[in-house]
Amino acid sequence: MGFEKFLFYVFAAIAVFAAGMVVTRRNPVHAVLYLVLAFVSSAALWLLIEAEFLGIVLVLVYVGAVMVLFLFVVMMLDIEVAALRAQFIRHLPLGLVIAAVMIINMVLVVGPWNFGLDSFAKPVPQPEGYSNTTVLGLDLFRTYLYQFEIAAVVLLVAIVAAIRLTLRRRANTKHQEPSEQVRVRKGPERIRLVAMRAEAVPASVPRIGSGPGADPNDAKEQGE
Amino acid sequence: MLEDYLHILIFLVVAFLIGLAPRVMGSLLGPRRPGLEKDSPYECGFEAFENARMKFDVRYYLVAILFIIFDLEIAFLFPWAVVLEELGLGGLIAMVVFLGILVVGFIYEWRKGALEWE
Repeated sequence: MGFEKFLFYVFAAIAVFAAGMVVTRRNPVHAVLYLVLAFVSSAALWLLIEAEFLGIVLVLVYVGAVMVLFLFVVMMLDIEVAALRAQFIRHLPLGLVIAAVMIINMVLVVGPWNFGLDSFAKPVPQPEGYSNTTVLGLDLFRTYLYQFEIAAVVLLVAIVAAIRLTLRRRANTKHQEPSEQVRVRKGPERIRLVAMRAEAVPASVPRIGSGPGADPNDAKEQGE
Repeated sequence: MLEDYLHILIFLVVAFLIGLAPRVMGSLLGPRRPGLEKDSPYECGFEAFENARMKFDVRYYLVAILFIIFDLEIAFLFPWAVVLEELGLGGLIAMVVFLGILVVGFIYEWRKGALEWE
Protein backbone atom coordinates (compact mmCIF):
# COMPACT_ATOMS: atom_id res chain seq x y z
CA MET A 1 0.00 0.00 0.00
CA GLY A 2 2.91 2.29 0.67
CA PHE A 3 3.78 2.98 -2.95
CA GLU A 4 0.15 3.43 -3.98
CA LYS A 5 -0.37 5.90 -1.18
CA PHE A 6 2.72 7.79 -2.31
CA LEU A 7 1.37 7.87 -5.89
CA PHE A 8 -1.99 9.10 -4.63
CA TYR A 9 -0.35 12.00 -2.82
CA VAL A 10 1.79 12.86 -5.85
CA PHE A 11 -1.14 12.95 -8.27
CA ALA A 12 -3.45 14.65 -5.78
CA ALA A 13 -0.81 17.34 -5.19
CA ILE A 14 -0.44 17.87 -8.95
CA ALA A 15 -4.22 18.10 -9.33
CA VAL A 16 -4.59 20.65 -6.52
CA PHE A 17 -1.64 22.68 -7.82
CA ALA A 18 -3.07 22.68 -11.37
CA ALA A 19 -6.53 23.66 -10.12
CA GLY A 20 -5.01 26.57 -8.22
CA MET A 21 -3.14 27.68 -11.32
CA VAL A 22 -6.35 27.50 -13.39
CA VAL A 23 -8.04 30.18 -11.29
CA THR A 24 -4.99 32.40 -10.81
CA ARG A 25 -3.44 32.60 -14.28
CA ARG A 26 -4.01 35.86 -16.09
CA ASN A 27 -3.67 34.33 -19.53
CA PRO A 28 -6.82 32.25 -20.17
CA VAL A 29 -4.97 29.94 -22.56
CA HIS A 30 -2.51 29.05 -19.78
CA ALA A 31 -5.49 28.44 -17.47
CA VAL A 32 -6.96 25.98 -19.96
CA LEU A 33 -3.63 24.16 -20.27
CA TYR A 34 -3.45 23.84 -16.49
CA LEU A 35 -6.99 22.45 -16.58
CA VAL A 36 -5.66 19.75 -18.93
CA LEU A 37 -3.01 18.92 -16.33
CA ALA A 38 -5.69 18.74 -13.64
CA PHE A 39 -7.74 16.34 -15.78
CA VAL A 40 -4.74 14.12 -16.49
CA SER A 41 -3.81 13.84 -12.82
CA SER A 42 -7.47 13.13 -11.96
CA ALA A 43 -7.38 10.34 -14.53
CA ALA A 44 -4.36 8.92 -12.72
CA LEU A 45 -6.30 9.09 -9.43
CA TRP A 46 -9.20 7.22 -11.02
CA LEU A 47 -6.78 4.56 -12.22
CA LEU A 48 -5.57 4.22 -8.63
CA ILE A 49 -9.10 3.31 -7.46
CA GLU A 50 -9.23 0.76 -10.28
CA ALA A 51 -11.74 2.64 -12.42
CA GLU A 52 -9.54 2.16 -15.43
CA PHE A 53 -12.15 2.66 -18.13
CA LEU A 54 -13.33 5.94 -16.65
CA GLY A 55 -9.76 7.12 -16.26
CA ILE A 56 -8.96 6.48 -19.90
CA VAL A 57 -12.24 8.01 -21.07
CA LEU A 58 -11.40 11.09 -19.02
CA VAL A 59 -8.19 11.46 -21.00
CA LEU A 60 -9.80 10.52 -24.33
CA VAL A 61 -12.94 12.64 -24.14
CA TYR A 62 -12.10 15.49 -21.79
CA VAL A 63 -8.45 16.08 -22.57
CA GLY A 64 -8.73 15.05 -26.20
CA ALA A 65 -11.97 16.73 -27.21
CA VAL A 66 -13.54 18.97 -24.58
CA MET A 67 -10.33 20.84 -23.84
CA VAL A 68 -9.79 21.45 -27.54
CA LEU A 69 -13.22 23.04 -27.56
CA PHE A 70 -12.29 25.09 -24.48
CA LEU A 71 -9.16 26.31 -26.21
CA PHE A 72 -11.16 27.31 -29.28
CA VAL A 73 -13.69 29.15 -27.17
CA VAL A 74 -11.01 30.91 -25.14
CA MET A 75 -9.23 31.93 -28.32
CA MET A 76 -12.45 33.04 -29.96
CA LEU A 77 -13.65 35.14 -27.07
CA ASP A 78 -11.16 37.94 -27.66
CA ILE A 79 -10.75 38.52 -23.93
CA GLU A 80 -9.31 41.87 -22.98
CA VAL A 81 -7.51 40.95 -19.76
CA ALA A 82 -6.88 44.53 -18.67
CA ALA A 83 -10.57 45.43 -18.98
CA LEU A 84 -11.47 42.39 -16.90
CA ARG A 85 -9.05 43.33 -14.15
CA ALA A 86 -10.39 46.85 -13.97
CA GLN A 87 -13.75 45.45 -12.86
CA PHE A 88 -12.16 43.12 -10.32
CA ILE A 89 -12.41 45.42 -7.27
CA ARG A 90 -15.93 46.56 -8.13
CA HIS A 91 -17.33 43.02 -8.19
CA LEU A 92 -15.14 41.73 -5.37
CA PRO A 93 -17.75 41.91 -2.53
CA LEU A 94 -20.37 40.00 -4.52
CA GLY A 95 -17.76 37.48 -5.58
CA LEU A 96 -16.65 36.95 -1.99
CA VAL A 97 -20.25 36.34 -0.85
CA ILE A 98 -20.82 33.77 -3.60
CA ALA A 99 -17.50 32.10 -2.86
CA ALA A 100 -18.35 31.90 0.86
CA VAL A 101 -21.75 30.32 0.12
CA MET A 102 -20.12 27.80 -2.19
CA ILE A 103 -17.46 26.92 0.39
CA ILE A 104 -20.13 26.39 3.08
CA ASN A 105 -22.10 24.21 0.68
CA MET A 106 -19.12 22.10 -0.22
CA VAL A 107 -17.96 21.70 3.38
CA LEU A 108 -21.46 20.56 4.37
CA VAL A 109 -21.52 17.99 1.58
CA VAL A 110 -17.94 16.79 1.39
CA GLY A 111 -16.75 17.76 4.88
CA PRO A 112 -14.41 15.42 6.71
CA TRP A 113 -17.19 14.06 8.99
CA ASN A 114 -18.94 12.50 5.98
CA PHE A 115 -15.89 10.53 5.03
CA GLY A 116 -13.37 8.32 6.72
CA LEU A 117 -13.07 4.59 7.16
CA ASP A 118 -16.12 4.36 9.47
CA SER A 119 -18.43 5.84 6.80
CA PHE A 120 -16.88 4.08 3.83
CA ALA A 121 -15.18 0.77 4.21
CA LYS A 122 -11.79 0.45 2.61
CA PRO A 123 -12.36 -0.89 -0.91
CA VAL A 124 -11.03 -4.38 -1.30
CA PRO A 125 -8.58 -4.76 -4.17
CA GLN A 126 -10.21 -6.46 -7.11
CA PRO A 127 -9.14 -10.03 -7.86
CA GLU A 128 -6.73 -10.94 -10.62
CA GLY A 129 -8.28 -10.66 -14.08
CA TYR A 130 -10.94 -8.16 -13.01
CA SER A 131 -11.84 -5.84 -15.84
CA ASN A 132 -13.56 -2.58 -15.05
CA THR A 133 -14.51 -2.22 -18.71
CA THR A 134 -16.31 -5.58 -18.76
CA VAL A 135 -18.35 -4.82 -15.63
CA LEU A 136 -19.23 -1.38 -16.94
CA GLY A 137 -20.18 -2.76 -20.35
CA LEU A 138 -22.48 -5.41 -18.89
CA ASP A 139 -24.16 -2.81 -16.68
CA LEU A 140 -24.49 -0.32 -19.49
CA PHE A 141 -25.94 -2.70 -22.06
CA ARG A 142 -28.19 -4.73 -19.75
CA THR A 143 -29.39 -2.55 -16.87
CA TYR A 144 -29.09 0.88 -18.44
CA LEU A 145 -29.85 0.07 -22.07
CA TYR A 146 -32.69 2.55 -22.34
CA GLN A 147 -30.60 5.40 -20.93
CA PHE A 148 -27.86 4.44 -23.37
CA GLU A 149 -30.20 4.90 -26.33
CA ILE A 150 -31.39 8.20 -24.84
CA ALA A 151 -27.73 9.27 -24.88
CA ALA A 152 -27.73 8.76 -28.66
CA VAL A 153 -30.75 11.05 -29.00
CA VAL A 154 -29.06 13.68 -26.82
CA LEU A 155 -25.98 13.51 -29.05
CA LEU A 156 -28.19 13.81 -32.14
CA VAL A 157 -29.79 16.94 -30.68
CA ALA A 158 -26.31 18.31 -30.01
CA ILE A 159 -25.28 17.71 -33.64
CA VAL A 160 -28.36 19.44 -35.03
CA ALA A 161 -28.14 22.34 -32.58
CA ALA A 162 -24.45 22.94 -33.22
CA ILE A 163 -24.97 22.98 -36.98
CA ARG A 164 -28.03 25.25 -36.80
CA LEU A 165 -26.27 27.71 -34.49
CA THR A 166 -22.85 27.95 -36.08
CA LEU A 167 -23.10 27.01 -39.75
CA ARG A 168 -22.89 30.17 -41.79
CA ARG A 169 -22.69 30.12 -45.57
CA ARG A 170 -20.55 32.93 -46.84
CA ALA A 171 -21.61 34.49 -50.07
CA ASN A 172 -19.07 34.67 -52.91
CA THR A 173 -16.41 32.41 -51.53
CA LYS A 174 -14.55 30.65 -54.30
CA HIS A 175 -14.32 26.91 -53.94
CA GLN A 176 -14.14 23.79 -56.06
CA GLU A 177 -16.60 20.94 -56.21
CA PRO A 178 -14.40 17.87 -56.78
CA SER A 179 -17.43 15.63 -57.20
CA GLU A 180 -18.59 17.72 -60.15
CA GLN A 181 -15.08 18.04 -61.52
CA VAL A 182 -14.58 14.30 -61.86
CA ARG A 183 -17.96 13.88 -63.51
CA VAL A 184 -17.09 16.08 -66.48
CA ARG A 185 -17.41 14.10 -69.72
CA LYS A 186 -15.17 14.41 -72.73
CA GLY A 187 -16.75 16.51 -75.41
CA PRO A 188 -18.86 19.60 -74.92
CA GLU A 189 -18.04 20.00 -71.20
CA ARG A 190 -14.31 20.21 -71.64
CA ILE A 191 -12.02 22.83 -73.07
CA ARG A 192 -11.24 22.01 -76.71
CA LEU A 193 -7.80 22.91 -78.03
CA VAL A 194 -7.82 23.88 -81.69
CA ALA A 195 -4.66 24.02 -83.79
CA MET A 196 -4.80 26.82 -86.33
CA ARG A 197 -2.48 28.65 -88.59
CA ALA A 198 -0.90 31.91 -87.58
CA GLU A 199 -2.79 34.81 -89.07
CA ALA A 200 -1.00 37.37 -91.14
CA VAL A 201 -0.51 40.61 -89.26
CA PRO A 202 -2.12 43.53 -91.10
CA ALA A 203 0.29 46.26 -92.06
CA SER A 204 -1.68 48.84 -90.01
CA VAL A 205 -0.82 47.11 -86.70
CA PRO A 206 2.65 48.04 -85.46
CA ARG A 207 4.80 45.06 -84.56
CA ILE A 208 5.88 45.05 -80.90
CA GLY A 209 9.07 43.07 -80.58
CA SER A 210 8.72 39.42 -79.59
CA GLY A 211 6.56 39.77 -76.50
CA PRO A 212 4.30 36.97 -75.37
CA GLY A 213 1.26 38.57 -76.99
CA ALA A 214 2.94 38.74 -80.33
CA ASP A 215 3.88 35.08 -80.45
CA PRO A 216 1.74 33.46 -83.16
CA ASN A 217 2.01 30.00 -81.52
CA ASP A 218 -0.14 31.29 -78.66
CA ALA A 219 -3.13 31.62 -80.91
CA LYS A 220 -5.15 28.73 -79.57
CA GLU A 221 -8.83 29.10 -79.57
CA GLN A 222 -11.09 27.90 -76.82
CA GLY A 223 -13.96 25.66 -77.77
CA GLU A 224 -17.58 26.70 -77.14
CA MET B 1 -4.44 -4.91 -11.68
CA LEU B 2 -2.55 -1.79 -10.74
CA GLU B 3 0.75 -3.57 -11.35
CA ASP B 4 -0.16 -3.64 -15.04
CA TYR B 5 0.08 0.13 -15.11
CA LEU B 6 3.63 0.23 -13.75
CA HIS B 7 5.00 0.47 -17.28
CA ILE B 8 2.89 3.52 -17.94
CA LEU B 9 4.08 5.14 -14.72
CA ILE B 10 7.70 4.49 -15.66
CA PHE B 11 6.96 5.88 -19.11
CA LEU B 12 5.43 9.01 -17.58
CA VAL B 13 8.44 9.56 -15.33
CA VAL B 14 10.89 9.05 -18.20
CA ALA B 15 8.89 11.35 -20.48
CA PHE B 16 8.82 14.02 -17.78
CA LEU B 17 12.58 13.75 -17.29
CA ILE B 18 13.26 13.87 -21.03
CA GLY B 19 11.12 16.98 -21.25
CA LEU B 20 12.84 18.56 -18.30
CA ALA B 21 16.45 17.70 -19.16
CA PRO B 22 16.88 19.94 -22.26
CA ARG B 23 15.46 22.95 -20.43
CA VAL B 24 17.70 22.45 -17.41
CA MET B 25 20.76 21.78 -19.54
CA GLY B 26 19.98 24.74 -21.75
CA SER B 27 19.66 27.13 -18.84
CA LEU B 28 22.79 25.79 -17.13
CA LEU B 29 25.12 25.40 -20.10
CA GLY B 30 24.06 28.01 -22.61
CA PRO B 31 24.96 31.70 -22.44
CA ARG B 32 22.08 34.05 -21.72
CA ARG B 33 22.44 37.59 -23.00
CA PRO B 34 18.91 38.86 -23.54
CA GLY B 35 18.43 42.05 -25.50
CA LEU B 36 15.59 44.22 -26.70
CA GLU B 37 15.73 42.80 -30.22
CA LYS B 38 16.04 39.22 -29.02
CA ASP B 39 13.04 39.46 -26.71
CA SER B 40 10.76 41.13 -29.23
CA PRO B 41 8.15 38.91 -30.90
CA TYR B 42 9.39 37.43 -34.15
CA GLU B 43 6.89 36.87 -36.87
CA CYS B 44 8.38 35.37 -39.98
CA GLY B 45 10.57 38.29 -40.89
CA PHE B 46 8.07 41.13 -40.81
CA GLU B 47 6.97 43.33 -37.92
CA ALA B 48 4.26 41.85 -35.73
CA PHE B 49 1.14 43.79 -36.66
CA GLU B 50 -1.64 42.20 -34.64
CA ASN B 51 -2.37 40.80 -31.23
CA ALA B 52 -2.54 37.01 -31.07
CA ARG B 53 -5.87 37.29 -29.19
CA MET B 54 -7.93 37.87 -32.27
CA LYS B 55 -11.32 36.44 -33.05
CA PHE B 56 -11.34 33.07 -34.75
CA ASP B 57 -13.95 31.99 -37.24
CA VAL B 58 -16.86 30.20 -35.61
CA ARG B 59 -16.49 27.27 -38.00
CA TYR B 60 -13.48 25.97 -36.04
CA TYR B 61 -15.87 25.67 -33.11
CA LEU B 62 -18.29 23.68 -35.23
CA VAL B 63 -15.58 21.22 -36.24
CA ALA B 64 -14.52 20.83 -32.60
CA ILE B 65 -18.03 20.20 -31.31
CA LEU B 66 -18.80 17.68 -34.06
CA PHE B 67 -15.53 15.95 -33.15
CA ILE B 68 -16.54 15.77 -29.46
CA ILE B 69 -19.85 14.11 -30.32
CA PHE B 70 -18.27 11.37 -32.39
CA ASP B 71 -15.49 11.01 -29.84
CA LEU B 72 -18.15 10.27 -27.19
CA GLU B 73 -19.73 7.76 -29.52
CA ILE B 74 -16.35 5.97 -29.79
CA ALA B 75 -16.09 5.93 -25.98
CA PHE B 76 -19.34 3.94 -25.85
CA LEU B 77 -18.02 1.47 -28.39
CA PHE B 78 -15.12 0.28 -26.21
CA PRO B 79 -17.08 -1.43 -23.38
CA TRP B 80 -19.54 -2.74 -25.96
CA ALA B 81 -16.77 -4.40 -27.94
CA VAL B 82 -15.34 -5.97 -24.78
CA VAL B 83 -18.60 -7.62 -23.68
CA LEU B 84 -20.14 -8.28 -27.10
CA GLU B 85 -19.80 -12.06 -26.81
CA GLU B 86 -21.70 -12.12 -23.54
CA LEU B 87 -24.40 -9.75 -24.78
CA GLY B 88 -25.15 -11.73 -27.90
CA LEU B 89 -27.63 -10.54 -30.51
CA GLY B 90 -29.36 -8.09 -28.14
CA GLY B 91 -26.17 -6.13 -27.68
CA LEU B 92 -25.62 -5.97 -31.41
CA ILE B 93 -29.14 -4.62 -31.99
CA ALA B 94 -28.71 -2.08 -29.18
CA MET B 95 -25.55 -0.73 -30.78
CA VAL B 96 -27.13 -0.71 -34.24
CA VAL B 97 -29.96 1.44 -32.88
CA PHE B 98 -27.45 3.73 -31.13
CA LEU B 99 -25.31 4.14 -34.20
CA GLY B 100 -28.39 4.45 -36.40
CA ILE B 101 -29.60 7.47 -34.45
CA LEU B 102 -26.17 9.05 -34.76
CA VAL B 103 -25.97 8.24 -38.46
CA VAL B 104 -29.11 10.36 -38.86
CA GLY B 105 -27.11 13.24 -37.38
CA PHE B 106 -24.17 12.39 -39.60
CA ILE B 107 -26.34 12.44 -42.74
CA TYR B 108 -27.80 15.74 -41.57
CA GLU B 109 -24.38 17.38 -41.18
CA TRP B 110 -23.21 15.94 -44.48
CA ARG B 111 -26.27 17.22 -46.36
CA LYS B 112 -26.08 20.63 -44.70
CA GLY B 113 -22.48 20.92 -45.83
CA ALA B 114 -21.12 21.30 -42.30
CA LEU B 115 -18.14 19.17 -43.29
CA GLU B 116 -17.32 21.32 -46.31
CA TRP B 117 -14.46 23.74 -45.90
CA GLU B 118 -15.03 26.61 -48.27
